[in-house]
Amino acid sequence: MNHSVNYLLRRLGFYFVAAWAALTLNFFIPRMMPGDPAAIIFARFRGKLKPEAMNALRETFGLTDEPLLGQYWSYLKSILQGDLGISIAYFPEPVTSIISSAFLWTIFLAGFSLIISFSLGTLLGTIIAWNRNGRLDSTLPPVLAFVGAFPYFWLAMVALYIFGFELSWFPLGHAYGNHVTPGFNIPFILSALYHAILPASTMIIVSLGGWMLSMRNIMITTLGTDYISFAHAKGLSSRLIMLRYAARNAILPNFTGFGMALGFVLSGALLTEIIFSYPGQGYLLLQAVRAQDFPLMQGLFMTITFAVLAANWIVDILILFFDPRTRT
Amino acid sequence: MIIKIISYLILISFFILVGCENSNELKKRDGLRVYQEAQMSWIRNFNPLSLAGSARWPTSSGIYEPLFIYNSITGEYVPWLALDYTWEKGNKVLKMLIRKGVKWSDGEPFSAEDVAFTFNIKSKHRALDTRDSWGYLKEVVAVSDSIVKFEFKQIYVPGFDALATQSIVAKHIWDTIDDPVKYSNPNPVGTGPFTEIIRFDSQLWELGKNPNYWQKGKPQINKLIFPTFPSNEQVTLALLSGNLDWAGAFIPAVDRVFVSKDTEHHKYWFPLTGHTTFLHTNTKHPILSDIRVRKAISYAIDRELVVKVGMYDYTEPAHVSGVSGPMSKWHSPYLDQVEDWTTYDPLKANILLDNAGFIKDKTGLRHTQDGSPLEFDIIIVSGWSDWIRSAQIVSQNLKNIGIKAKVKTYDFGAWISRMQKGEFDLAIGWAEKGTTPYALYKGMMSSEYLKPIGETADVNWHRFSLTSADSLFRKYEQTSDQKEITEIIYELQHLFIEHAPSLPLFAEASWAECNTKYFTNFPSKENPYATLSPNYPPENLLVLVNLMRR
Amino acid sequence: MDYIHNSIFTRWITGIIQNRKAVTGVGIIFVFIFLAVFGPFITQDPTAFLSRPLSPPSWEHWLGTNGQGQDVLAQTISGARQTLLVGFTTGIMVVLIGALIGGISGYYGGRIDDILSLLINVFLVMPGLPLMVILASWLPPGPGTLTGVLVLTGWAWNARVIRSQMMTFRNRDFVSAAIVSGERNIRIIIIEIMPRMLSLLASSFIGASIYAIGAQVGLEFLGLGDVSTITWGTNLYWASNDMALLTGSWWTFVPTGLSIAIVSFALTLINFGIDEVTNPRLISERVWRENIPRDKAVNGITPVVKDHE
Repeated sequence: MNHSVNYLLRRLGFYFVAAWAALTLNFFIPRMMPGDPAAIIFARFRGKLKPEAMNALRETFGLTDEPLLGQYWSYLKSILQGDLGISIAYFPEPVTSIISSAFLWTIFLAGFSLIISFSLGTLLGTIIAWNRNGRLDSTLPPVLAFVGAFPYFWLAMVALYIFGFELSWFPLGHAYGNHVTPGFNIPFILSALYHAILPASTMIIVSLGGWMLSMRNIMITTLGTDYISFAHAKGLSSRLIMLRYAARNAILPNFTGFGMALGFVLSGALLTEIIFSYPGQGYLLLQAVRAQDFPLMQGLFMTITFAVLAANWIVDILILFFDPRTRT
Repeated sequence: MIIKIISYLILISFFILVGCENSNELKKRDGLRVYQEAQMSWIRNFNPLSLAGSARWPTSSGIYEPLFIYNSITGEYVPWLALDYTWEKGNKVLKMLIRKGVKWSDGEPFSAEDVAFTFNIKSKHRALDTRDSWGYLKEVVAVSDSIVKFEFKQIYVPGFDALATQSIVAKHIWDTIDDPVKYSNPNPVGTGPFTEIIRFDSQLWELGKNPNYWQKGKPQINKLIFPTFPSNEQVTLALLSGNLDWAGAFIPAVDRVFVSKDTEHHKYWFPLTGHTTFLHTNTKHPILSDIRVRKAISYAIDRELVVKVGMYDYTEPAHVSGVSGPMSKWHSPYLDQVEDWTTYDPLKANILLDNAGFIKDKTGLRHTQDGSPLEFDIIIVSGWSDWIRSAQIVSQNLKNIGIKAKVKTYDFGAWISRMQKGEFDLAIGWAEKGTTPYALYKGMMSSEYLKPIGETADVNWHRFSLTSADSLFRKYEQTSDQKEITEIIYELQHLFIEHAPSLPLFAEASWAECNTKYFTNFPSKENPYATLSPNYPPENLLVLVNLMRR
Repeated sequence: MDYIHNSIFTRWITGIIQNRKAVTGVGIIFVFIFLAVFGPFITQDPTAFLSRPLSPPSWEHWLGTNGQGQDVLAQTISGARQTLLVGFTTGIMVVLIGALIGGISGYYGGRIDDILSLLINVFLVMPGLPLMVILASWLPPGPGTLTGVLVLTGWAWNARVIRSQMMTFRNRDFVSAAIVSGERNIRIIIIEIMPRMLSLLASSFIGASIYAIGAQVGLEFLGLGDVSTITWGTNLYWASNDMALLTGSWWTFVPTGLSIAIVSFALTLINFGIDEVTNPRLISERVWRENIPRDKAVNGITPVVKDHE
């Protein structure tokens, strides 16, 4: 027991260091980019503003000439206080409010797709590994692998075009219909689900093959082990062996992967969001980069970084919980 | 067995979802759906004073209104919140007569006090002075309830445009705001035709009529609806499926893509704005500083092909003066006597380069006397595919006269940074614009805007200056006499054509589409009462008050 | 000693050659490489603004023309060059860096492992796509930038996997034996351990290449590549800009997408094959029923054939 706690604390410490390193990098990279945000926003209005506006702009954004190190310390301090600053591209909106709504939608869509993809994938992988001479084993992996080989945005665009535009089975984009009001009401929830079907399906189909295959491979290795033979010998039912013994052990290595993927969900399925007009974080990040909106970029990087680390740590805990071998 | 039940359940719930959604979407024609800003989610900001782009369209010209509106089609200022203006005291004082009987959307009366207040708040908070009006203003005072006096520090007649098109805010509201720079004005009070925020979600917002609007009986539509569209694809999809009524988007092959879907109601109008898109030449580049090289490059470009393949034939080759279309009235009467280096003449181009001492080698590429090849980069903003394609054609054209030009794309931030610092050879970009060509020529040739390479220059990226032009600019700024103004513009024009500081490429068009199925009286070629595109505030006000429901 | 690692290597290669999936995959890849290298000499000029834009497939243009009137077949074949070049180069570099850092970290352990692991974890944690977008938009566009950006964002994953594998081998008997008999560390890593990691290295290379091709195409689709060059990604970029689907011009969009899919799929097949060679249990039952009577043992391991229901 002590060892586990030690292990977790060590991991936590590790994550803190990694977080600090990532944050530092996040601080420096935007600043190494050429151009300054005031000039970009000014220039965005192809000649409609007058050249004399530059000073006013720079003043607005409070772009200081403070030495880099000074800016760095203020940056770290404000992160700890939860103050992510004011966005430049969406001035004067604070970064936290811009991120928060995008955050929720990304989690909903990508998290939802990931969970379904993982569950369905591991289930299929288990079944296939079990019935290895079945038709499923010879058809499903190659088919899913081929579908997953297409560039994601290609599939998404084709799907949107066929199912959304030509057949009108699904909406052409957005997170919910324009006739419902966001909130905890049934029409809104139903509408959100309906609008999520097409984007989520494209994400699921593309990643399904991966989860299924890794589960299948690990299952097969597991099925060759002694304790499974023993369970057979004891006369336990096949289904019981498949699910409670083999699958439960086989899923563990996959789980680590799931943890990492969960974290990255927040860097947003960027292409999904663009193609389906889905108001998530991925597209927000692209915009922030284009506008050289330092505060927004940093805020987004920060949430993604912390999410990845948190997801990893949670997975560490869960694995510790589920797999007694790690507790030794 | 269980799997079968689950699959049926899923199918049934799916049909329920579809049913609910579609029945609700049927009653959707109570508002005009507009696209102007490409956004992923809406930020609630209606501050017309802070930088354009922070506030939602149509804050500055829809919720709030200016004193005069410049109509680019007719070329005239339309009196709006102001009725008339006069210059006094040798153009050092500008007086404007303010319209009576206007009310704010909260019922309070509008007066010259609000006008004076708006300008004075920009003096108090310089970050709001986005057009640097206080660079030449000395004092702004409401002489009476309907007269505003602008006193100038120095004579600067072109300043009229910035003052006339300023959106006016309410004194009784803004007087109480501590920091108007950071104020997002979530519940605006304006004089414009649409002021009531009916609904504001991250994905959609609705703007309703102003109950106290000063033009009786207008606007004739109840509300404007703004769904989010993050990119051109979504806008096009929405237009095609009839989900958008009014948009200002660039659509390739518009007849085939858009109009064909509903030939009766899908309309577009891409009138020329009068301005020009340029192939900028960095005149500080040792080779490009030679005017013969610049003219040669210009002769080598097949502008017809550029327009046809690059711009889908939406526009036309540029005029050598840099202005065309509605601005053609500024063309000098002596243009038949000047050299028109915008015609397609590769022969002349080759002769010019030969004379300038650039010899062709065996492969057909030219070198300078000391052997260095004639190679340039053409930089374009990535994502602006029409300009990229145009650049590719230019590159091919230049190859024919022995110049190697490589097209390089950069993300907008990196591109603009390079332009402003003068770190480029050739580039396709816009130039300064105004109600007269003065702004264009000043941006092209004024020493005032000249900055060395490496220093950020907001205009005059190509870094050219001409002292003979400078004196003309100064003369222009002092006079309000129409005849004098015209003469000065003709002179500037000839200087521009003589010195070719940058190369006009093709005329600029404005992009606009509309769907007349549910709403009518959009401007069009047959009914050109204003420009159709919503991308040009405050001119879009003219459209907003005239639209009608079927 | 030499007998053993020669044998490992040759036995591995023999296993691969006999694996149907791997062979099919390799075959497809070679076809594409052949087309990429020699194709452009026999097709029409992909940059010429020739014919009517967006005309459907015909005898003159087998795959039709794109939005600028350029021949789609020529574009698809020309596009293969840079895409494949960047893809495989990235793959090699990722594996090299991964093997170097992961291998050293896993083998030496201790302080070195702590520092290098930290480095790996930091890079793992950094959101890849956003970082790619930033770097690609800042640096001058071109294949060099793409390769650099892809390697920078992609090396960490393989490094970690190689590190784990290295740590497993490190504790095995043959390594302890080698250390005890006085072999130098470098020699152990290169001569003893690496040959046994061939499967992992090969599938890392394949995996990294798949990732590189996909990510590269994605970046170029967003317009962040060099749009004046002809690559599969820029082909799709232009197709989408010309509203390929909305005008019904599927021929500008489908061939490139299919090519990418086929290449990635072929690479995946090779990976399947490698997996099966390493872990013969993964080969489906059918294959085993055919082979067992002929007593084919792969890699010296006796596979266990399990029958479940």
